[in-house]
Amino acid sequence: MRGNAVFLYIGLMEWLMSDPDDHGFENVIISGDCDLYAAPAFAKAMQSRIAAGARKLRMDFTEVNYLDSTGVGAIIRILQDSRRTGCELRFRGVGGSPRKVLRMSNILALMEEDAPLQRAGEAIPQWERP
Amino acid sequence: MGAAMKRLILRKLIVDERNELFDAQGMRCLEFASDFSRIREYTATVLADCPAAFREGNLLEQQLSEIVKNGVKHGNRNDPGKRLRVWFDMRKRARFIVEDEGEGFKDLEAWNDFFRKRQTALFEEDFDAFLSLASYRGPRSDETDGGNSLIAALEYWNGGMIFNEAKNKVGVVRWFTGGSTEA
Repeated sequence: MRGNAVFLYIGLMEWLMSDPDDHGFENVIISGDCDLYAAPAFAKAMQSRIAAGARKLRMDFTEVNYLDSTGVGAIIRILQDSRRTGCELRFRGVGGSPRKVLRMSNILALMEEDAPLQRAGEAIPQWERP
Repeated sequence: MGAAMKRLILRKLIVDERNELFDAQGMRCLEFASDFSRIREYTATVLADCPAAFREGNLLEQQLSEIVKNGVKHGNRNDPGKRLRVWFDMRKRARFIVEDEGEGFKDLEAWNDFFRKRQTALFEEDFDAFLSLASYRGPRSDETDGGNSLIAALEYWNGGMIFNEAKNKVGVVRWFTGGSTEA
């Protein structure tokens, strides 16, 4: 990551946005709990970025351990806005229970995903496997 | 043999006052105030003695938290004078009854209609229509509502998800096989 990073903190969820990388993607590194308390502010921040003209966004959920329906709703809003404005939206590192919740909500199939980052030396429980 | 034919399977929310899921005999019960800021805390309290194999990471916590949130926010409308009761039994499976003191889930049939349209769009691979229907928006929805908690719930609670006639009480069960139900 390079350039002018902006650090934001809402509750137990954090996200870090970077300037565009070599492929033109602004990377959003998210961590913590994307839940009913934090997700609305996250959605607003991403929707504002898209409205401001972002053309390529990549959201990295590797460090997100908890995602509830408000978090799923945030992702839906971001997907809707990106589709409406033509912003290319990609996801990375969606695993564990957040992945399961997105699958059960039928949203996972709509998300364009990049290869996940391997968690070296860590056994992945059966229920967590993609 | 030709390719297997795709079939649209539609789940829906069910009302059944006399369903066995409402039999609270032998279940423990906790009662909470309707404090939105403490929803996850309430859920953690209920699950304090939950077997690790039932937790599936934090999936059980997340799914129970959705029901608690619906009771506190949509049922009791965050009225601190109204209580939320949670019965629970985590012997052999995870079973809960959650009752609020609100006027009930009046939109249940509208929600079933929304869900039928949503799943039909998904089945027909009409992704633009599906995305526009991805979240339920009822008369009382606000911008912080995800509008999708019941969609995942219908799949997660694999032993049933039943509402009472007043629609202010829901019974749910999840069964586990070897600590996981992952297909």
